[in-house]
Amino acid sequence: MKYILMMSGTKADFEWYTKWSKQELQAHTAFMRDFSRELKDSGKFVGAEGLAFPDEARIVRAGSKGEPITDGVFPEAKEFLAGYFMIDVESPEEAYRLAARVSAAPGPKDRGTQPIEVRQVMSGPLEDFS
Amino acid sequence: MKYMMMMSFKADKESMSKSIKTWPKQDVQAHIAFMIGFNKELKASGEFVAAEGLAWPEQAKLVRAGRDGSPITDGVFPESKEFLIGFWIIDVETPERAYQLAARASAAPGPGGAPLNMPIEVRQVMSGPPEEFQ
Repeated sequence: MKYILMMSGTKADFEWYTKWSKQELQAHTAFMRDFSRELKDSGKFVGAEGLAFPDEARIVRAGSKGEPITDGVFPEAKEFLAGYFMIDVESPEEAYRLAARVSAAPGPKDRGTQPIEVRQVMSGPLEDFS
Repeated sequence: MKYMMMMSFKADKESMSKSIKTWPKQDVQAHIAFMIGFNKELKASGEFVAAEGLAWPEQAKLVRAGRDGSPITDGVFPESKEFLIGFWIIDVETPERAYQLAARASAAPGPGGAPLNMPIEVRQVMSGPPEEFQ
């Protein structure tokens, strides 16, 4: 079963990252790298990506002729995907255990744990319908 | 440059009443056929990196580490929360090309075969952590 572990935050959350000390950022990055390596070694790694900051985000819709209409204004409360891990595990419980590990990734002392959204990844297009 | 194109929706009553689950079968089939054709086209042009569809929002869990590191799961979300339902990662030369492709996805057929013109969030995918993090 494939699962996605998603890290998200508002614009304010992203700005807060830029205030971490170099040491805190390095410890965080090292944790993420080691976690990826561990997933790869155990055969559970499917993919991992990090996204650009929200100020680069655009919402695109098709106009009446199919042309792109872009918009870069978002509500303050909007949560932006910051990055994800995709994993292949035996059970949802295993996905939750791994998500808890990511939740406790190191940061500034007062950071606390981070919420990680976990959802299954379907193997086909809208397989509920096929 | 790698870009992610994201489809998201809210799981409140109004949104769910219009969800694909409520569409006639032939409209669903046309929508899926469009998605399959779009992926094929991206593969043929060498712009395809990945595409995934996620389980429905009712299966979503928010997980945090408890004191001993054990997972604490929660399945209650605010009504305003947007759930990622699927995404593409594409490899293109310019952001404008990413926006063009997002507009194509936006116009995927919906009920009655009419273009959905759904919002697609587009953002660059970084190839590694920023240098200053390393």
